[in-house]
Amino acid sequence: MNPIRVLLVEDNPADADLTRETLETGKLFLELSVVADGIAAMDFLHGRGKHIGQPRPDLILLDLNLPRKPGREVLIEIKGDPDLRSIPIVILTSSDAERDIVQSYALGANCYITKPVDLRAFQSIVRTLEGFWLTIVKLPPTLGRFNPASEGSP
Amino acid sequence: MLRLVVESCPSGLVMVDSSGAIVLVNAETERLFGYPREELLGRSVDVLVPERFRGGHPGHRAQYASEPTTRAMGVGRDLFGLRRDGSEFPVEIGLNPIRMPDGDYVLSVIVDITERKLAEKRFHLAVESCPSGMVMVDEQGEILLVNAETERMFGYARGELVGQRIELLVPQRYREGHPEHRKQFAQCPARRAMGAGRNLYGLRKDGSEFPVEIGLNPIPTDTGIVTLSVIVDISERQRIDDALANHARELQRSNEDLEQFAYVASHDLQEPLRMVASYTQLLADRYEGQLDAKADKYIHYAVEGARRMQQLVGDLLAYSRVGTQGKRPQPTDIAATVRATIHAHGAALQECGGTIDVGPLPTIDADPAQMAQLFQNLIGNALKFRGEDPPRIRIEASREGAMWHFSVADNGIGIEQQYWERIFQVFQRLHERGRFEGNGIGLAISKKIVERHGGHIWLESAEGVGTTFHFTLPAAWQEYAR
Repeated sequence: MNPIRVLLVEDNPADADLTRETLETGKLFLELSVVADGIAAMDFLHGRGKHIGQPRPDLILLDLNLPRKPGREVLIEIKGDPDLRSIPIVILTSSDAERDIVQSYALGANCYITKPVDLRAFQSIVRTLEGFWLTIVKLPPTLGRFNPASEGSP
Repeated sequence: MLRLVVESCPSGLVMVDSSGAIVLVNAETERLFGYPREELLGRSVDVLVPERFRGGHPGHRAQYASEPTTRAMGVGRDLFGLRRDGSEFPVEIGLNPIRMPDGDYVLSVIVDITERKLAEKRFHLAVESCPSGMVMVDEQGEILLVNAETERMFGYARGELVGQRIELLVPQRYREGHPEHRKQFAQCPARRAMGAGRNLYGLRKDGSEFPVEIGLNPIPTDTGIVTLSVIVDISERQRIDDALANHARELQRSNEDLEQFAYVASHDLQEPLRMVASYTQLLADRYEGQLDAKADKYIHYAVEGARRMQQLVGDLLAYSRVGTQGKRPQPTDIAATVRATIHAHGAALQECGGTIDVGPLPTIDADPAQMAQLFQNLIGNALKFRGEDPPRIRIEASREGAMWHFSVADNGIGIEQQYWERIFQVFQRLHERGRFEGNGIGLAISKKIVERHGGHIWLESAEGVGTTFHFTLPAAWQEYAR
């Protein structure tokens, strides 16, 4: 059985570890990749640079406050790319600003979650995410390895 | 008969012959000058003239004799009479030539004007010592009179002003329009302030300007309406006003800064705090029981400390949001707000057997979410600090002028008087931790909500009997405090 691939775009390693810790204690066979900024996220998705040959993720957990390229722009690029736009994106951020929420959905985010301050609540949310997106929902079949021919398409 | 008329005339009558000898006086003359008539008849009229004028008097008489007409004596000069006792008094004298067969006589009619002079002097004194500038102007805008303060204020000597147009004192840029303003005032003369709503300025001789306030008083006279302008230099007042306004702006800005600071601090603290709290919790989850008992205890302290700090930062954030995230006021049905709050407390009420009794409540202009929070806090407090008996809460409102006065009364444990004010401060708790939940932010938030709406909050309480929270809120939106 192939693992379910999750890409976490998160610049705070402590936060990334917390998500990893929580996901790893779950029962699912997951493969979690972590990138720390928006440019690295796009490189990962396009299999560029040090991410050559990286398989396409089944789900993206995206923070909004990112160095180099903000999460909002990452969201715009992915949802504007026919090869990538079918990957569900969960916005996972500390912001609870109405503007961020509205904008994220308008840009095609699949769901928006404000990280709770409490660990228990956070764990419960990650479990729910896991349960919903990785077991309940039917995701599009993985396209397998990145196909360089699609690079440069709109 | 004629003699009686002369005697009872209320003015002094003195008749002299062409040599200036007195030939007739009446009773009033005796009274005015203090002479019995025997001492006057036959003597030169010069005896009634003060020493200092006596030298010129025969000359004046001769001049009058050359063109005798009925006229006032000494026009433009101040005239004085000399009494027998040497004292003087101001007089007004009318001269009438009388031609008789035996020669020419002059009848002088003498009026004692001491009272009038005194009144004039008082008037002059009042005008001169008035701390405001006074300028009297005729209908053509010509200056008739100015007082000392006007000289001081504008830097002109009075001789430079009297006879000039009033526009001399008006700054160039307003000068052109000024005659028109005067015309309008002349059409509808009434006591009023000049240029209501406009800023007025006076022009000094040196060309500098200063802010003034001017009161206009029309005075009808025989020759038309003259206007007495009372001018006050308001430089100092304006300076104080400006300073006050600056101060208020500064205060508001610093308040906003502080609020923004509290918001940013509490908001940005959340993130690192989340890490501390999460990882200490994770440590506890993973390693509790694997280290020694001390380690477990320390981890427990860290977890508790982080949790508590999270609560405080969260509360601080909520507190600062009252000011930074408040909504514009809109008509808010307080009765509905209270109903919803009571509904939310349904389970707690049932559990302790409490009752909430609500009087008629109004609809007011307010931030609905904050009104809900306010009643939530006060009702929550009343339930939390209940006594032995099931809680009974009474919520009422009454109209007091432009405000509504609300009260939330309970039969709880009460609050000692020394805490009646302190309890509204941030993080003030009256009870040891553990006895009651909470950090003491609820009442601070309540106070901030009420004050942001332009009201006041206070309490009355008796220990063991209960507490009543009072607060006022404006009935209609006027101007928000913030």
